[in-house]
Amino acid sequence: MATKKISTKIDELKAGVEWFYSDEFELDKAAAKYKDLTVLAKDIEKDLAELKNEIKVIDEDFSK
Amino acid sequence: MNQDTELVYSVSEFQEICNQILENAFTGVVIEGEIASFKVNQNKFVFFDLKDDKSSVGCFMMKFALRFPLEDGMKVRIRALPKLTDWGKFSLTVQSIMPVGEGSIKKSLELLKKKLAAEGLFLPERKRALPPEIEKIGVISSTQAAGYADFCKILNERWGGLSVQVAHTQVQGIVAADQIIRALNYFNERSEVQVIALIRGGGSADDLAVFNDEKLVRAVAASKIPVITGIGHEIDTSLCDMAADVVASTPSNAAQMLSRDRKEVVSANRAEVKRVFTLLNSKIDFEKQNLEINCKEAQRQINVKITSYEQEVSGIVKVLEQLNPERVLARGYALLSGNVAVGNVVNITTLKQEIQAEIKDIKKRS
Repeated sequence: MATKKISTKIDELKAGVEWFYSDEFELDKAAAKYKDLTVLAKDIEKDLAELKNEIKVIDEDFSK
Repeated sequence: MNQDTELVYSVSEFQEICNQILENAFTGVVIEGEIASFKVNQNKFVFFDLKDDKSSVGCFMMKFALRFPLEDGMKVRIRALPKLTDWGKFSLTVQSIMPVGEGSIKKSLELLKKKLAAEGLFLPERKRALPPEIEKIGVISSTQAAGYADFCKILNERWGGLSVQVAHTQVQGIVAADQIIRALNYFNERSEVQVIALIRGGGSADDLAVFNDEKLVRAVAASKIPVITGIGHEIDTSLCDMAADVVASTPSNAAQMLSRDRKEVVSANRAEVKRVFTLLNSKIDFEKQNLEINCKEAQRQINVKITSYEQEVSGIVKVLEQLNPERVLARGYALLSGNVAVGNVVNITTLKQEIQAEIKDIKKRS
């Protein structure tokens, strides 16, 4: 399991994208921010590829 | 046979022995037949005959154990204990009953659907949406069923990191409804999952009849945790589907509805990053254009200032030219300098000459 949840990372990616459309956008910081986004996107892809579901059959007899 | 050694039973003893023999012989017999003479006494006790072409046997059951609306002519399968009653009548005490055969199932389904609809169990306003971020899923299914395998396969293909608790139950047959109800209760009592998926692959009308069980339908409707059903194929609609919060057409479709697709997420993320790249480039282009415009404007402003200064200097030069004493001398005037007093010598400057002259007389002008 990734240390940070994928949903959190996806939210961070969305927030990062939003920054480029917001009033907070600064050209001086844009290149570094863009680089961060590409790293984060690749990180998410890696997490998604590795993530497994935990499927557990309950140890309970429902016939009784 | 000697009369003294013969076993003599009282009627009650004989009846009791008969029942013991029956109980040992049939711990729970399953019989199929057609209902006749169906009636409910005191709204508690149900009586009917179960018959086929040759035979008929009386049946008794409590009304609360009745899971499907029944009427004469319907074909049913019962699980029952044979019994000799206190009145010497052979009877089957029915433990569970379900309709069998397409006609009976359809008839029973229509009757129950009408009843539950009247109670509002299927109203759209009762339906809850699935949680937006699903991480914990409770699954009720047979782990041997193909539908369950499809569900897990699609879920694993699409997304990861989900915690899935599986309650293994029968999903067809006379005991399945109670097992599924117990599983629903299990999840609801613990509140550990965000959604319950009731899963079963395709089958005949008989196979899927359990999902029209009245108690089960009520349990689905009463579940505190939202329930999604993925039962049978696209064309199958059970009463559990109608009572559930969300209906998936198949187990695979249920897995799709409960999970995001990692391929779509990757694709969407890439598109977002690409969109930002395009945006960033357009912003850089915009800034470049701005810079060019600003440079041109600055150049224009400088030129305007230069012109303005030139004009100003030109004006001053003209004024200075007007004030130039040479211009006055050129017009024939002379400049007198020195101490103006009778007898003094003063300098007189004309355009072309410097003259020294003695002052002879001074008079005031009138």
